[in-house]
Amino acid sequence: MADSLQGGSVPPGQQAGWRSWLLLSPLLVWLGLFVLLPTLLLVLTSFSRRDDMGRVIYSFTLDNYLRCFDATWLSIFGSSILYALVATVICVLVGYPAAYTIGRASPKNRRILLTLVMVPFWTSFLIRTYAWISILSQEGLANSLLLSAHMIPTPIGMMYTPFAIVLGLVYNYLPFMILPIYTSVEKLDNSLIEAAYDLGAGPLRAFSSVIIPLTRPGIAAGALLVFVPAIAMYAITTLMGGGSNPTIGEVIQNQFTRARNQPFGAALGVLLMLLFLVTFLLLGRKKSSPHAA
Amino acid sequence: MKTIRHLILALLPWALVACGSKPASTTGNSDVPGSQEEKKLNLYCWSEYIPQSVIDDFSKETGIKVSVENYSSNEEMVTKLLAGGGKYDLIQPSEYTVEALIRENQLLPINPAALSNLANISSEFRNMPYDAGNKFSTPYMAGFVGICVNTDKVKTPVKGFTDVFTPNHKGRIVVLDDAREITSWAFATEKLGINDVTPENLEKVKPILKKWLPLVKVYDSDSPKTSLKNGDVDLGVIWSGEAALLYRDDKKFAFVLPSEGSHLFVDNLAIPKMAAHPQNAHLFINYILRPEVSRKISEAFPYYNPNSAARALLTNEEIANPASYPPAQDINRMQTFRDLGKQAAAIDELITQIKAGGK
Repeated sequence: MADSLQGGSVPPGQQAGWRSWLLLSPLLVWLGLFVLLPTLLLVLTSFSRRDDMGRVIYSFTLDNYLRCFDATWLSIFGSSILYALVATVICVLVGYPAAYTIGRASPKNRRILLTLVMVPFWTSFLIRTYAWISILSQEGLANSLLLSAHMIPTPIGMMYTPFAIVLGLVYNYLPFMILPIYTSVEKLDNSLIEAAYDLGAGPLRAFSSVIIPLTRPGIAAGALLVFVPAIAMYAITTLMGGGSNPTIGEVIQNQFTRARNQPFGAALGVLLMLLFLVTFLLLGRKKSSPHAA
Repeated sequence: MKTIRHLILALLPWALVACGSKPASTTGNSDVPGSQEEKKLNLYCWSEYIPQSVIDDFSKETGIKVSVENYSSNEEMVTKLLAGGGKYDLIQPSEYTVEALIRENQLLPINPAALSNLANISSEFRNMPYDAGNKFSTPYMAGFVGICVNTDKVKTPVKGFTDVFTPNHKGRIVVLDDAREITSWAFATEKLGINDVTPENLEKVKPILKKWLPLVKVYDSDSPKTSLKNGDVDLGVIWSGEAALLYRDDKKFAFVLPSEGSHLFVDNLAIPKMAAHPQNAHLFINYILRPEVSRKISEAFPYYNPNSAARALLTNEEIANPASYPPAQDINRMQTFRDLGKQAAAIDELITQIKAGGK
């Protein structure tokens, strides 16, 4: 369905005139200066050496990449992907019902609910993360509430654990999941759901065979928006993970600062970028798979 | 904290745009006749080290607008300085980093004529081996790295590093996120000189570090006191000033100088070669050297104050804080870090690798 729409909207063989290029030029300049150029610099650095003080020496070497495939770094890549994956799945599970409810609400309520989703964005994510630290710490809000309610005998160590990392990721990225799904839900054609019921489907069947496939683009977009930044996130993971469960974002940041090894950090960064590319291609393919089936 | 710093960094250009650049004023604040500097100072300093009130007072008195950026390790600062990422006028390197920066010809000589308050620095800090004669640096604050123990939670005696890093303290330890520091503790345990960093010695301490680091719960150089205060960890190896703050607020936090030996660190104010406002930097250093100003810094960050005139203004309670002013005979025994040259990179590598694979 989507394919046929796209095919019809662009008249074939139309040339972009100079006016369109002019309109595009701010974006192109922006992309060139702030995406293309830095990426080239990153790739260049990743093939370079460094001196004792950490200065980059531009002489070609493959060592940085060879070092990336050491078990140490691969396992960190693995755990970062795992954290991001778990966070994405939880975001879907929590975000989908929320997005569905918002999308099906009356226009007035919809506006209120959407605002409620966005309100946390008005505060810096750092402040929100620090708030979590004071909630989760050993002598924090959560533990003292549970203790005074006699639900736990001794405080639970929640801070500086993988649990805290995933919680921080889910909390900060949930709106990125809700908003795209909401957009898909809002566009849902009611008559298709009614048709499913008319054809004898129960609510579950209608949900799994009609609603989910129709909102899949939203889920895929949300998953991309959560998964990709979550892999590379380092601020939340450092603050809430305490640095003893290092993520790839933290390792890269460390290479550029404390470890004085910019070329190695750059090599890890390039690999991370390739990982994003693969994710993007995979999720992009998923989007069109129901039509193929 | 470093993350906040990044946020501030991101916002800084906007703040500058909003304020607009003021034309250089003509009030005579310079010691070099004929040249005028615009009233700005770009300060690149450790996090949690210079109280904001001190910076504000300096700005009020001199009209010099101070932009502050923070770092949490010497290595981070050097990387950024050498990458030319910012035009800093004043940095705050520790002793071994001063030595490295002098060797790399990255520092501007201090003009002693502009520092009328230099005499306030006590004599033992005036001629340290890393910068004989204080040609390039002025001591800001000194301190130690020691063990801080929450005595409510830890009942066994903790005297040295080996008592800290035991299996029954697993997941209860905070340490500085600083490769040079961590390695030096293992060196002390093996009775190796903290500056005798050779590939063989690093190989020797590797098994110790491999045993120690998986026990650690939190790595934090910015504010290691936070996790201790919140009860998330029960003991740690942290900056003496941080331990002094914990002790001041709650006597259950004991400070122990490790029996294996500790080292004295001296953080300095120094002016990078490329500084755009060296005169303002001198003004700031001289301001910091005032007894009443330095005393204020001690109040906020109770490290070992090398400014003897300021120390005379401290209360008895402040002097009695064991983390700020340990017994003199202990201090005299301490070594200081020297620049390691090539080996510095090897240390970074070793710790990063063990940390990453420690789990």
